[in-house]
Amino acid sequence: MFACIHSRSVPGAGASEALVELAFTFSPLVELTRADTVVFDVAGQDLLFGKVLDVHADGDLFFRLAATIAQRARQVNVKANICIAANPDTAIHAARLLSQTTIIHAGDELTHLGLLSIKQLDCSLAAVEQRQAEEIYETFALWGVRTFRDLAELPLAGVAERLGQEGVRLQQLAQGRTDRALNLVRPPIGFEQSLELEHAVSELEPLSFILSRLLNQLCANLNEHALAANELRLQLVTEKCGQWPVAGGQQQDANTRDLSDANQPLTDHLPLTADHYLRIITLPVPMRNPKTLLRLLLFEIEREPPLAPIVAITITAEPVQPRAAQTGLFIPLAPEPEKLEITLARLAKLVGRENVGSPELLDTHRPDAFRVKRFSVTSARKKSRSNPRSAGGNPQSVMGFRIFRPPCLAQVHTSKGRPIHVDARAKLSRKLSGQIVRAAGPWRGSSDWWRTDVWARDEWDVAVFDAQQGGEVLCRIYRDLISEQWFVAGIYD
Amino acid sequence: MNAVAKKEIEAQIVDRLGHVFERNEKRPREILRSGIGEIDQEWGGFPRGAITEIHGTASCGRTSLMLATLAAATAGEETCAVIDCSDTFDLSSATRAGVNFDHLLWVRCNHNLERAFKSTDLLLHGGGFGFIALSLADMPPPTLRRIVSTWWFRFRRAVEDTPTVLLVMTPTVCTRSCAAMALELKNESAMWPATAKFITPEEYYVPAPDNPAAKHLSLVSGDERNREPAAVPSHAHFLATSTIRLNRERPVEWTNQIIRFISSRA
Repeated sequence: MFACIHSRSVPGAGASEALVELAFTFSPLVELTRADTVVFDVAGQDLLFGKVLDVHADGDLFFRLAATIAQRARQVNVKANICIAANPDTAIHAARLLSQTTIIHAGDELTHLGLLSIKQLDCSLAAVEQRQAEEIYETFALWGVRTFRDLAELPLAGVAERLGQEGVRLQQLAQGRTDRALNLVRPPIGFEQSLELEHAVSELEPLSFILSRLLNQLCANLNEHALAANELRLQLVTEKCGQWPVAGGQQQDANTRDLSDANQPLTDHLPLTADHYLRIITLPVPMRNPKTLLRLLLFEIEREPPLAPIVAITITAEPVQPRAAQTGLFIPLAPEPEKLEITLARLAKLVGRENVGSPELLDTHRPDAFRVKRFSVTSARKKSRSNPRSAGGNPQSVMGFRIFRPPCLAQVHTSKGRPIHVDARAKLSRKLSGQIVRAAGPWRGSSDWWRTDVWARDEWDVAVFDAQQGGEVLCRIYRDLISEQWFVAGIYD
Repeated sequence: MNAVAKKEIEAQIVDRLGHVFERNEKRPREILRSGIGEIDQEWGGFPRGAITEIHGTASCGRTSLMLATLAAATAGEETCAVIDCSDTFDLSSATRAGVNFDHLLWVRCNHNLERAFKSTDLLLHGGGFGFIALSLADMPPPTLRRIVSTWWFRFRRAVEDTPTVLLVMTPTVCTRSCAAMALELKNESAMWPATAKFITPEEYYVPAPDNPAAKHLSLVSGDERNREPAAVPSHAHFLATSTIRLNRERPVEWTNQIIRFISSRA
């Protein structure tokens, strides 16, 4: 049996979604026939609405079911007409064209629909085009066929001979004998898991159990649809809000609060309202392994823990197609993306996120201008070589340089503008002091004069006799032309 | 007791006790080319699945050797990592050496030795890296002496049976018996360009009239005076020569090799 809900409310935004949601409360097999009409399979509702004992009891069952549908429709402010029939197309016609709730058993179709005009037959249900249907209706008018019953009682062979398959399908539609499967509405796939906690969680270990449970369900959903996640969003709701009053009457968010003022206790300015923490983890490759995702989430929370106990958790996954990799015998060794991501997360926790990654030189003349970007094996393989010198190998061995960050302030003695003695101490390293035995330079460099951090320097390559090592140390020193100070930029090694 | 005497004693007792003092080490079968012709022709390269130590004083060529190997490894599309304990890895010289940064993971440890070792441990156990360089070259020797030897044994255990080359750069000997190969580098000399002639004796200066771009070159120390000017890059500042001593059977046998590095500014 099939039930049809035809909305007689004013169609608006979200009306069809409301109808579909209403239908999904009764059955997973739902067809959205039109924006104001849904039809769904109501077979197997006897556990809810009573068993089918005979025809009379069957009627009672479906009347109760129709009453329940009407009641729920009223609850969601949908003014609807409902019909339950053995055939979905019959249910649709009855719901649209009859004025009250109708139950139509198999064989009783013409009893209820027989007097309806033939022009009210929905030809789209029989897969007949509107233009073609109008021609057929003209033929029916010439024949004197005006109602469903007139069409249903025509001989099948004659209809097929004169009107073809379209006429036969229209006749079956009028008879209520069509046989078609519902064009099902796919329920929206939800890759979001959330949980509200009765007691706030303030430690990582119990939180990991909760996250594990949510991630297992999330990954099971992804696996069921043969998808993977390339982004995870973790939203934590904590007990206390982090709105700190600042000067000028403005509010400052807890996450951006400057914690350098250690004299003020954190809890003094915390009103007892909810606060939200959002963490977004972008994955380099699509993943659906709950253990890997759990570790990444825990590392992320450990790196920047929330300031208050957690009362609610929501994890959302961005579904994408899973990774398809073709391996080969001659592909060089590379870390597994999942393991690499965990390793990078651990390294970021250990040394800081800004200190882990793939380096990239900036397109500027400023010395030691670089940035650190995210390291990824897959992107490295897709990209062309960033350094053209590496393509054909480097036939000559270039001397390496070890740069001091920041440059080491030095005392340099000069003679006729040339350095003759240097005295410096690098950070946490050995002292560099001695006579300059050879020097080359200066090489002048300057740029960014249009900016506040203008730089200009005279660089020298010098050999310093280091008495501690008993040999020469080749290093690069420079005189900052802005501050008129000498620095050791680094050593050649 | 020196190494030679130790070997003599072992030879005398081998009849009674057998080869009990022989190292039970698996010789690495695969190697990673160092990118320096002299080393690759002589020794093949660096052993995979083992620790290689490069030690020497400042300006001895440790970083140059590491960069050459890094360039060769990244050119072969191997995934590499540099654990930079002192944050002194220079990207400009690495670029000139031919390092492909797309295949390089750079970990800066901000002078924290413990972080450097933990990072190395994480990468070794993570697996998949072809070349990992642990740079301790700027750490003072008293700090290096505080390294407990169990770290090196742990690294040796983690890296064996993997195709990873773990290269450790130190100012002094650190890894000792845990390294399958130890290289000692020593700075022999540096040859200076013409702009240094106020310090360099005038007779060392060799002009290159047929190559105006080479006017900054004065590659004129010892045998290098007879070299063709065109064979040298035009923007070179100086050549640094290093002697490498290789120790395979520590500390019994050393082999000498000379390599030259060119300091250039592109």
